[in-house]
Amino acid sequence: MKKLNFKIVSVFALLWVFTKCEKDDICISSVADTPNVVILMLDKDASKKRTPLGFLIRPIGTEKQLVENSSDSLALPLQLTKSVTEFEFITNNGAGDENIDTLQINYRRIDQFINGACGYRANFILKKSPIFILNSGDNWIKGAIIIKDTVSDEISAHLGILY
Amino acid sequence: MRFLHTWVFCISLLFGMVTVNGQEKAKDVLNLADSLDLKKKPPLSLRFGIDLFRTIRSQASKDYQGFEAVADLRISKDIYIATEIGNEEVTKQVEQVNFTSKGTYYKIGFDLNMFDNWNDMDNQVVIGLRLASSSHSQFLNSYTLFDRTPFWQESESVINTGFSTGERPNLNAFWLEVIAGFKVEVINNIYLGLSLRLNRLLRDTVPENFDNIHVPGFNKKTEDNKFGAGFNYTLTYKIPLNFKK
Repeated sequence: MKKLNFKIVSVFALLWVFTKCEKDDICISSVADTPNVVILMLDKDASKKRTPLGFLIRPIGTEKQLVENSSDSLALPLQLTKSVTEFEFITNNGAGDENIDTLQINYRRIDQFINGACGYRANFILKKSPIFILNSGDNWIKGAIIIKDTVSDEISAHLGILY
Repeated sequence: MRFLHTWVFCISLLFGMVTVNGQEKAKDVLNLADSLDLKKKPPLSLRFGIDLFRTIRSQASKDYQGFEAVADLRISKDIYIATEIGNEEVTKQVEQVNFTSKGTYYKIGFDLNMFDNWNDMDNQVVIGLRLASSSHSQFLNSYTLFDRTPFWQESESVINTGFSTGERPNLNAFWLEVIAGFKVEVINNIYLGLSLRLNRLLRDTVPENFDNIHVPGFNKKTEDNKFGAGFNYTLTYKIPLNFKK
């Protein structure tokens, strides 16, 4: 009888341990979140990367500024609730021959399930014509090429901006 | 003498069948039968009932609707064939995801009694095993997108239509349960039971662009972890099935 009692207790104890040792649902920091679109500033023949003189990118529709806004390779945050996001591309910023082009990036959002703890993140598919230049007149931006149309990470560039 | 034995045997059988009020009297006769080395076969009995916990929880919570019917059939002194059939509809908010998991499940297996009862008592401490399967659906109600450094303000808005929301029907899960529990006869033929269950997922159909975060009958499933846990608190009634020889 003593032996049996011990057996019973140990079975319950074991089960208790198992039920309590359930892994916590924590979204670990190495999991990629919603990516930004990575753009490259390219020569108009798309031959090489080059930072324009006095270059600056300003998002439209917010007071915020990008953390990094002047380089030949930039990550731009896309709006989740819209299928377009607008940016001002400025060259010769602050100088007399300052030129501002307003670019609209066109995309489609697809939400991807990560896991229970992290939930969903957005991926973007760039549309066939990925950018529209909204202002008329003297455009310093000449066009764009799609390098990779699926924006699911920030490892490689997605969009080349030609000037 | 043999004549007497036969009579004692017959009478004891008769008393054995008078289950409710006859037990006090029957005991003496049965003891006599024991002394004559006549092995009494434990009666085949069917027990059925419901899980009280699921029923009460359904009343208490608007995010839970569930019912579980349980039954077991005693096939020998300490072995029972046992089954649970249930239905659940659970709405859960897990981190940034809100979903409803809905479906039915079946469990079948056996219970093994490890408890030696005193005369006329019928309590069990059981360990058991079940094979279980569910057919369910997952409905993703809403979610917010995971973005560590949201730049645009509306990034944190809840998505409750379109995109990945909606139903994932026709899902299945298949698992094994190891059970430890007990059943106590509180009134004649009425039992209260508690069982703890350790579940091991064997196979499940993963919903498209989602996961079986909760499976009816299995409960919570976490990523990279095939184990789940559950319990039930049952109220059962026993029908003695005594067949005349």
